[in-house]
Amino acid sequence: MKRGLSMQRRTALSSLLALGAAGAGWNPAHAQGKSALNLAMVAEPPTLDIQSTPADLVCIIMQHVYEPLFTFDANAALVPMLAEAMPKISADGKLYSITLRSGVKLHNGRDLNADDVVASLKRWMDVSPRGKSVSAQVADLTAKGPLAVEISMKNPYAPLLAQLAMASGMAGIMAKETIAQPLRDYVGTGPYKFKERKPDQYVLLTRFENYSARKEAPSGYGGKRAALVEELRFVPVPNANTRVEGALAGQFHFADLLPIEALPRLEQAKAKVVPLMTQSFGFPYLVLNTKEGSMTKVGVRRAFQTAIGEGEMLAAGFGDTRFFIAEGNHFPKGTPFYSTAGTDRYNERNASKAKAQAEQAGYKGEPVRILTSRQYDFHYNMALIMAEQLKRAGFKAELNVVEWATLLQRRADPKLWDIYITHSGLFPEPMLSPPQLGDGAPGWWSSAAKTEALAALNQEANPAKRGPLWGKVQQVVYDEVPYVHVGKFASLSARAPSLQNYNPATYPFFWNTSLKA
Amino acid sequence: MTSAVQGAGAGRMARYLLSRLGGMLVVMAIVAVLVFILTRAAPGDPIAVLLGDQATAEDIARVQKVYGLDKPLPVQFALWLKELAHGNLGESIFLQRPVTQALWERAEPTTLLSLLSIAIATLIGVPCGIVSAVYRGKMVDQVFTGFAMLGASIPSFWFGLVLMQIFAVSLGWFPVSGYGEPGASLAARIWCLVLPATVLGLLNSALIIRFTRASMLDVLGEDYVRTARAKGLGEDVVVLKHALRNALVPIVTVIGLTVALLIGGAVVTETVFGLPGVGNLVVSAVIRRDYPVIQGALLVVAVIYVVINFAIDLLYTVLDPRVKY
Repeated sequence: MKRGLSMQRRTALSSLLALGAAGAGWNPAHAQGKSALNLAMVAEPPTLDIQSTPADLVCIIMQHVYEPLFTFDANAALVPMLAEAMPKISADGKLYSITLRSGVKLHNGRDLNADDVVASLKRWMDVSPRGKSVSAQVADLTAKGPLAVEISMKNPYAPLLAQLAMASGMAGIMAKETIAQPLRDYVGTGPYKFKERKPDQYVLLTRFENYSARKEAPSGYGGKRAALVEELRFVPVPNANTRVEGALAGQFHFADLLPIEALPRLEQAKAKVVPLMTQSFGFPYLVLNTKEGSMTKVGVRRAFQTAIGEGEMLAAGFGDTRFFIAEGNHFPKGTPFYSTAGTDRYNERNASKAKAQAEQAGYKGEPVRILTSRQYDFHYNMALIMAEQLKRAGFKAELNVVEWATLLQRRADPKLWDIYITHSGLFPEPMLSPPQLGDGAPGWWSSAAKTEALAALNQEANPAKRGPLWGKVQQVVYDEVPYVHVGKFASLSARAPSLQNYNPATYPFFWNTSLKA
Repeated sequence: MTSAVQGAGAGRMARYLLSRLGGMLVVMAIVAVLVFILTRAAPGDPIAVLLGDQATAEDIARVQKVYGLDKPLPVQFALWLKELAHGNLGESIFLQRPVTQALWERAEPTTLLSLLSIAIATLIGVPCGIVSAVYRGKMVDQVFTGFAMLGASIPSFWFGLVLMQIFAVSLGWFPVSGYGEPGASLAARIWCLVLPATVLGLLNSALIIRFTRASMLDVLGEDYVRTARAKGLGEDVVVLKHALRNALVPIVTVIGLTVALLIGGAVVTETVFGLPGVGNLVVSAVIRRDYPVIQGALLVVAVIYVVINFAIDLLYTVLDPRVKY
């Protein structure tokens, strides 16, 4: 009996030791021989269909699988990706002739051809919100040979190539035979191919051995791409503090979107982790309801603009001054669309002037319903400050704090709100965001000045002339206040010191990165 | 005579089992109706979340049609019931797989986490509760009662982060989050559960300590315990054999209910440790309004809860032969 008990104890002890030994295998430090990257993402992706959603997370993962015809280089200039070169554009700016690179392999082993491109772009114009807006401009889309595609437009439409190049909600090219709704097979041309998705555990991509890389030197999203690491594992880690701890413990080679408060800890642990700040990562913006409610009159909206202090709001939203820039120009200095048009109305925070403007415009104390959520802390913190600024200027501000899913639903109904708070990535082409520059987006902004200014911008094909034309659109935005650009914010991420050649980007990518032994 | 009594007892038991089974079916029907109504009564739209920030009302309406969300609610409910009758919980809007498959994939981490946690909670809670009762008012009782108070007050997310900081970040013994790398062995996966199970186990042991202590104090004051002592039995035999056996019913109840709660309710711990369990699934589904997953998961958790309750009731007859149905 005694002997039996002792045997059981020994067995239990040895099992425990075996468990510990096996468990030690979790650490990537032990797994470096596998040449795999563990990449901590903010959530489980809502879908893997890169065309159907503009969700950043889906783009970050699936941009390794799918590629666009064109992309942006490190200077935010358009460069070819699956296209052999930049397209030939007819003199009237309506016909785009695109030639594809020859010998590009799809993940199913077949060569990419013009039929795949036409079918993919047609699907994109059908399922993607951005694709739909492009579709309204397209007269015809046809294959003109095995590697030739023609897009003819109803009118000159300068943002076309940027729309085709944008990484999120990407006009990604897929194998024609896999096209379905919903998409079930993910067959693209990228340096990595889809292997497995285990919801709430990981999305696994593996190196595509027959990848057809470009010859140009890598630059931004453009140029040569090489899958130097064998496997990419995108791991959902929804708790931001857990992503920080995981980065500090060395469990993740990359941890995306960390809380700003974590920066001092990351800076102190330099041997274990490298903090990464991406400046001008995005911009918060306030959408005003021009269709119904208390903000329909331009004069009241201008009074609203005078009342708010964007600098204070950014300070409340982001705290650390390294993480925001309070400036009224919608695009950063040094970029083609930088303009100061209208910015004298930015960050006024003048309660008495706003009060007078509101009275003159006929504001009679109607409630100003601010729709916001706590999904993003900075939205909520900015809303709190804004409500106080409005009250100081005599507006009857009411905060309506709801869940993100509820906000997305309610903002579609013009009866339910007057202002809502959201944010966007900062992209190299004005027409990519915010959607209020297009038609039909919540806020329902429509005016003759808008139509005129945007038509001039969109029909001008010469990039050098488009910059000043954007300045005119920015002026109209400040004049009519359909939305307010609050400023720019930076993001914080972290990488392990062993992850080499990583270049911070709005949509982090891991081709061309390698692991130091 | 004896066989007649036994036959009557078996008949009573069969009637009891049938009535409980009927009751369970009624409970499940009520849960199904409530879950459907509550998920649809909450504001928010899964398709608006799926399509994202730039989707127009037309885009949302088009995709709602694909998932049948444009139909009137009674029709949607009838269709869901029809699928349920065939054992089909529907298809997730976001995960692109049947809800049953999504739940099955999460069964392992949730079950193992619940079992590990309850093992830790019981191994700590029952002995500490017994000692606390036996040494009532002494220093050891004060310490255990204080521990129980602390356990009931500490938020699990905070405790989880503290353990993570010490054992995962500083010492590097355990992973910070996740459920093992692709292809990880069962042992490696269980290793990932040690920290979260410790959090849940320690915190849940507080309740078990309090129940065990209270139940033991009741029993230790009974006449038969005094008689056992008067017979000259050793204190360990009196406490562990005579008193504990009779104090077990409420202890087993609280342990059973804790298991049931853990299966659907270890939400915070699963989120902090990034575990792909049922709690995490339900939270993501609620945030996205993934109706089929919310409905299916809550229904399955309710079934488990009811079954565990039923099992506890049956266990009473084993623990205490005086209990008859």
